[in-house]
Amino acid sequence: MNSQLIDTSIYADISRFIRDESLRILLEGEVIAVVGYAAGRRKGSVQPIIACDTESAGRLMFSQASVNNLAVYLTKAKKEIPKSGKIGIVLKGCDLKALVGLIGESQLKREDLYLIGVPCSGVLASTVHPATELATETIAPKCLECDAHLPTGCDFVPDVALPPQQKSDLKYAVEIARLEALTPAERWAYWKEQFSKCIKCYACRQVCPFCFCEQCLCDRNKPQMVETTPRPAGNTAWHIVRAMHLAGRCAGCAECERVCPMDIPLNLLNRKMAKELKELFDYEPGFEVNDKGPLASFTDKDDQSFIK
Amino acid sequence: MRKYISRQNLNTLIDKLIAEGRRIVAPRMTAGTPLYEPLGHSGEMIIDQLPRRSAKEAFFPLCEEIMSYEKSGQQVKLTDVDPSRFPETILFAVRPCDAAAIPVLDAVFSWDYKDEFFLERRRKTTVVGLACTTADDACFCTAVGLSPSDTKGSDLFLSPLEGGGYNVESFTEKGEALINSCSDLFAEESNAAYIQLANPQTEAFDLKKVKSWLDEHFEDQLWDGIATRCVGCGACAFVCPACHCFDIVDEGTEKAGKRRKNWDACGFWKFTHHASGHNPRDLQPKRYRNRIMHKFKYYDDKFGQTLCTGCGRCVRICPVGIDIAAIVEEINQK
Repeated sequence: MNSQLIDTSIYADISRFIRDESLRILLEGEVIAVVGYAAGRRKGSVQPIIACDTESAGRLMFSQASVNNLAVYLTKAKKEIPKSGKIGIVLKGCDLKALVGLIGESQLKREDLYLIGVPCSGVLASTVHPATELATETIAPKCLECDAHLPTGCDFVPDVALPPQQKSDLKYAVEIARLEALTPAERWAYWKEQFSKCIKCYACRQVCPFCFCEQCLCDRNKPQMVETTPRPAGNTAWHIVRAMHLAGRCAGCAECERVCPMDIPLNLLNRKMAKELKELFDYEPGFEVNDKGPLASFTDKDDQSFIK
Repeated sequence: MRKYISRQNLNTLIDKLIAEGRRIVAPRMTAGTPLYEPLGHSGEMIIDQLPRRSAKEAFFPLCEEIMSYEKSGQQVKLTDVDPSRFPETILFAVRPCDAAAIPVLDAVFSWDYKDEFFLERRRKTTVVGLACTTADDACFCTAVGLSPSDTKGSDLFLSPLEGGGYNVESFTEKGEALINSCSDLFAEESNAAYIQLANPQTEAFDLKKVKSWLDEHFEDQLWDGIATRCVGCGACAFVCPACHCFDIVDEGTEKAGKRRKNWDACGFWKFTHHASGHNPRDLQPKRYRNRIMHKFKYYDDKFGQTLCTGCGRCVRICPVGIDIAAIVEEINQK
């Protein structure tokens, strides 16, 4: 399929709206900080910033390189972020789903947050330079399967008209179907090779909004629960622990996969788990706060066919 | 010694060495990612992409066994790993930013404690550097006193020529021995024009000035400003050609197991977590400060060298866009 450019002309207006609104809520004392995006040194690059004053709020922006899920900064794992007042945060739809999940898990209170939702046409894949134009070949695979271009339930959403979204190949769905069609031995060989690249840098864990454990099971050494060494047994154990712990919680922001320096397709595991949850419990994480996820509750409608 | 080798003869050389049972490590694709890995044949080598991880692991693997134990009855049997069994290795097509880190690492691994694992691998490895033609805007070797044609750390150095082939320069006995082992594959130095090398667009840092600012600013608001966003993974340290911290763990059962040495990173909260529960680097900016201090002050204090070769890997892979070149530039401007 030929690559087609994706219209990102609204991002300049969105940037202006984010700056104006952030300045307003900071100056009026509604929030003590706004977590958002600002430009980096390299052409087109974007990095998260925690804007506490008008100077830094003036640098806030949004572009196709605004890839990060900033919800991670609100979790208790990030002790560096001030928690002494209301916090503003810039969120794409996919990021908002994670934040909603955190509220459902009693990690955040809605009233402590000022949500700035971004109407989003997509962001760049991790494999391209941040100055690349957004197109069907350069967009992050998660954006092709996005059902949350327009976040709902926010305190502020820039008033821009979201252009119609283009349909494209669904890379995760196609890849999951390909892997499901393999024999268990072939699938094992595939993952064994992928996990062999893991260097246990834990970037996948550190960027995940749902990895908020103050001490990860994998960091424990009295007793050691999972081999810490980057060898096949420990790597496989870590990635299975991660996938299982996220089942029914992961909202598909795909940050784990984006940040993996070794290109391990981690979101495939998350999407596969999400598919199972959809089939078994008709459950998908979304914009609605659920106190109990499907794996934290029981109803008599749950599938019991596994009980023989 | 200066020579010429054609691209075809370079492949022949690699295949011949492999056939002789030598271990050849070079950039190759591994499950879709370019890495320095052992080659099965010369056709696997790729030279147009910077490997995602550096060449340091040829001497300092991300995980290595240093001892094993076995218990039977009242007896405990300890078995050391014998470094003399490490294989002779030739590292091919090493980028100048990776090769230059090797002598920097020599300093710390042969300091007060001689790390026989590192040093034995180092003794047994010949480094064949390759001038760099593919910089991007994350590269900054020229800012830290190196260049795309820097031969630091290379035993042999290949400079690509127009029309294919390389002029080869040898700097050490190991380099000459490699040429002499297959001298029929090398010819006299060529007069052909050199291929245009990469040209990183960064101004040289005044490293003395940067260090003198760091000497005085252990406490500074800069650290909160740049590193509050740091999420505390180890990716920057693990892809770095010069970072060399490691952790030692015993893994196994009460009956048998192994003692292993694994890469560690100052970005991890548990890096300085004391057994008492106290952590002197309790917040992420204090951990990130250590990364800058170690590279541009502490290592200089101790060994008179900079612990950064400007490869740009950490800039490219940082999950939250922390850019060490921009930070050092900011300090340089102070």
